[in-house]
Amino acid sequence: MRPSTPQNPLPPAGAFAVARDAAAAGALLRRGFFAGVAGLSLAGAVAGCAPSTADSTPAETGAPPAGSSALAGSGATYKDGTYSADGNYVSPNGTETVGVQLTLAAGKVSDVKITQHPSNPNTRKFQGQFAGGIAAQVVGKNIDELNVQKVSGSSLTSGGFNQALAKIKAEAQ
Amino acid sequence: MPAADQEAFSFQGIGTDWHITTPLPLPPAVRTRVLGRVETFDAGWSRFRADSLVAAMARQPGRYLFPEEAAPLGELYQRLYRLTNGAMTPLIGGSLERLGYDPGYSLRAAGPPLPAPPWESVLTWAGTVLTASAPVVLDIGAAGKGLLVDLLAAELAAAGEGAFVIDAGGDLLAQGAGTVSVGLEHPYNTAQAIGVVDLQDRALCASAANRRAWGDGLHHVLDGTTGQPVRTAVATWALAETAMVADALATALFFVPGELLQETFDFSWLTVFSDGSAAYSAEFEGKLFA
Repeated sequence: MRPSTPQNPLPPAGAFAVARDAAAAGALLRRGFFAGVAGLSLAGAVAGCAPSTADSTPAETGAPPAGSSALAGSGATYKDGTYSADGNYVSPNGTETVGVQLTLAAGKVSDVKITQHPSNPNTRKFQGQFAGGIAAQVVGKNIDELNVQKVSGSSLTSGGFNQALAKIKAEAQ
Repeated sequence: MPAADQEAFSFQGIGTDWHITTPLPLPPAVRTRVLGRVETFDAGWSRFRADSLVAAMARQPGRYLFPEEAAPLGELYQRLYRLTNGAMTPLIGGSLERLGYDPGYSLRAAGPPLPAPPWESVLTWAGTVLTASAPVVLDIGAAGKGLLVDLLAAELAAAGEGAFVIDAGGDLLAQGAGTVSVGLEHPYNTAQAIGVVDLQDRALCASAANRRAWGDGLHHVLDGTTGQPVRTAVATWALAETAMVADALATALFFVPGELLQETFDFSWLTVFSDGSAAYSAEFEGKLFA
């Protein structure tokens, strides 16, 4: 359930797929196939940036070096350096911003940092009793430890990531 | 549909990643047909294309004939507009543009937030005919992706494909494909899931506010009328017959309790709040990790 073109791991619009695949990495049906994809290390780095449940520290979360993920397969070359850009996405609670910092070395992505900016909540009161039930606290389990075929979640952050990456690509050329 | 037998057709469309999984590879003619449908949809409804119907309506008020999918979409939006007291509206496009989410992606606010105009004051949506009395920026984002999922499902069915899973950036429709187990993505950690549901011959759509972490300081904020900590929905899921309805209801859950929406719509729902708690309809009972 993944684009089957490993030659082009991070095209402008495909950046979305990278972030998305970070979420879905463990849920892929063909894990062996996926492991051969060049973009995997970057996908892993992005996943590593995701704040954990217990992590309440604001702003940046560092990511481990991402190995050698080609930024594009189209033959475009990029100047080395560290680039930052923000991307916006609109959630039902308002506009949210995601910051992306990429470090390029020898045309490859060597580091990725994601900054999730705080935003103002559009608070809603939910009242009354619910038909199904109420859980006091839900907890996460690692997707790659679950036997699932698909992952359903918001793609909003990934869209913002995508925008920011497109800006960085333009800047780095 | 055993995993080993699946083939994925992946492409980009309306700002998201699509994966259509079928037991056998989709023939080229079917792929072409699917991509053509995506293009037609975009040409009608995109706020970001100068040549779209929506862009034309933003420039010039008047009477516009939209594609046939406009009829169910308009009916759905009108119901949700009433149920959410105007919070969910297709006229939100101008507000989005004001905040920088414009066709040029300026990402800069052009002024203070702009409320959407009251529907009844500017727009008549009758079936496929939309009549605007002032320039309006239509944005069908709350249901558009789900609607396109349904339209592509119809294309696949018309082409004789009986079993498929359509994945539009995490919004899913499974048809004739048996049971698909789906992880519900953790709102704050995309490597984790908070539960697993089985999807079969229905659609599952999600919406999220993507806040940073449980609480996010909000549990220190008390609501004076109740003395309770302020609680904000951060992620929602809706299971319904069509992806259009599931998509729209996932958004509506941010504005209206699922219990209330259930009075009008036949669907299952899950809302996860900023304090890590969750409320859900019966179908999600036992599906969450706790």
